[in-house]
Amino acid sequence: MPLVRRDPTASPPPSQGSQGDLASHIAALSGQDAEDRWIAARALGGHADAVPALAAALGAEQVPRVREAIMTALMRIGDAASVIALVPYLRSQDAGLRAAATEALQAMSGAVMPFMTSLFWDGDSDVRLLATELARNMPAAEATHLLCSLLEHEQHPNVCAAAVEVLAEVGTREAIPALEACAGRFAGTPFLPFAVSIAIARISNTES
Amino acid sequence: MARSEAHESRAVHITQEDVRRLCEFLYRRTGLSFADSKRYFIDRRLAERIAVTQSASFQAYFAILRSDAEHEIEHLVNAFTVNETYFYREEHQLRCMTSSLLGDVARGKKAGQPIRIWSIPCSTGEEPYSIAIWLMENWSQVDSYNIEIVGSDIDTRALKAAADGVYGDRALMRLSRQVIDRYFQPVAADKHQIDPGLRNSIQFTRVNLVDAQDLARYRDFDIVFCRNVLIYFDDASRRMAAENLYDCLRPGGYICLGHSETMSRISPLFRVCRFSDAIVYQRPEADHDRN
Repeated sequence: MPLVRRDPTASPPPSQGSQGDLASHIAALSGQDAEDRWIAARALGGHADAVPALAAALGAEQVPRVREAIMTALMRIGDAASVIALVPYLRSQDAGLRAAATEALQAMSGAVMPFMTSLFWDGDSDVRLLATELARNMPAAEATHLLCSLLEHEQHPNVCAAAVEVLAEVGTREAIPALEACAGRFAGTPFLPFAVSIAIARISNTES
Repeated sequence: MARSEAHESRAVHITQEDVRRLCEFLYRRTGLSFADSKRYFIDRRLAERIAVTQSASFQAYFAILRSDAEHEIEHLVNAFTVNETYFYREEHQLRCMTSSLLGDVARGKKAGQPIRIWSIPCSTGEEPYSIAIWLMENWSQVDSYNIEIVGSDIDTRALKAAADGVYGDRALMRLSRQVIDRYFQPVAADKHQIDPGLRNSIQFTRVNLVDAQDLARYRDFDIVFCRNVLIYFDDASRRMAAENLYDCLRPGGYICLGHSETMSRISPLFRVCRFSDAIVYQRPEADHDRN
């Protein structure tokens, strides 16, 4: 029979940074070798003390897979410091980095929630638009409250449309007045009243 | 009447908009996609889950689903997918392995280097044994290489069952009579045990897919079958598992996911490979060798 049996656990584990301490992993994050940086980033997931180093490394890292590992490490830590480290990348010119930061922050909804109001008042409409996506994984009541607050003051139709789309999935009946007001304010922008009508139909049907 | 009994006895009305909302959530969260023609299929399963969770409305159920309370996403996905495991399940991937993947894998092998295949999670063993049987039945070069097959799971009871290798008729429903006669021995009414030679040629081990330390000894696999498990993890765990699998594969190695899973939604670490039989994912040969 060509099949051979070998116990994969019989050999010693490779001598990797995973055996090292926090300080050596943090030092390795800025090393020359991408494999060492990858190992270090993976080992630092869950270590809140490593957030400043991970944040600094994220800004400098050029190898996509190492960048992904840094994002994952920050997601696993998932505290306010991780959010502060990731938020600046919402305004990155690199679309991949922007999307990765959005995805990571979306997965940390509890930690992100206190930052939502300031994100919704950000001067950059692209940041406000991406921030609406962060509400998608939040509990319905909180997401509804945050997105309705945005709709009350938001002047950019694309940001409002993004908020309306998220509300169509997660919104509660409490969103309907804000949605109707939004449709009224943007009556001259036909796609927005149309999107609002769909969102209201979904919310109303859902709660009837 | 108790509150829960009231919920059980009252059918919750499900609207078209409810179904759309559910489908959009499921697609975004899992990649599972349903056409409008599946409305009856969706309604039935959704109604079942609403009843089981004692939800008073679709809204109440959707809140449970979104918060993933009591692993409701897993329960709903289970209701939508075939959970039963059996030999030659998702046969197109086994066909892809012999028609496309192994040729590429074998080209990179030096004399004496084994081909290494990993089934994780392997549950009660149907998948690793299917891989072994499929190779012996369908790969013309099978005698030219040493092939190591490892089956791993977090559940030690499942691993014990896998090592015992005893299966009922239903698990063998996709196998021909000739294949059953060749690789199984009857041990009781409707029970068949894998031939001892085959049982002894596969290594079963306990592993937690999201534990990097656990996986540190698992390296240089050429093909990994990791089907129908990532879909149940939260975002961070899915990414950790993907990074662990990346480390376990040799550069250029392949990973096969379940039919309702797509790596593109989990991590950009892997390259998508579209073969005639299946879509699989490949660890790039080098960091710059990416899509």
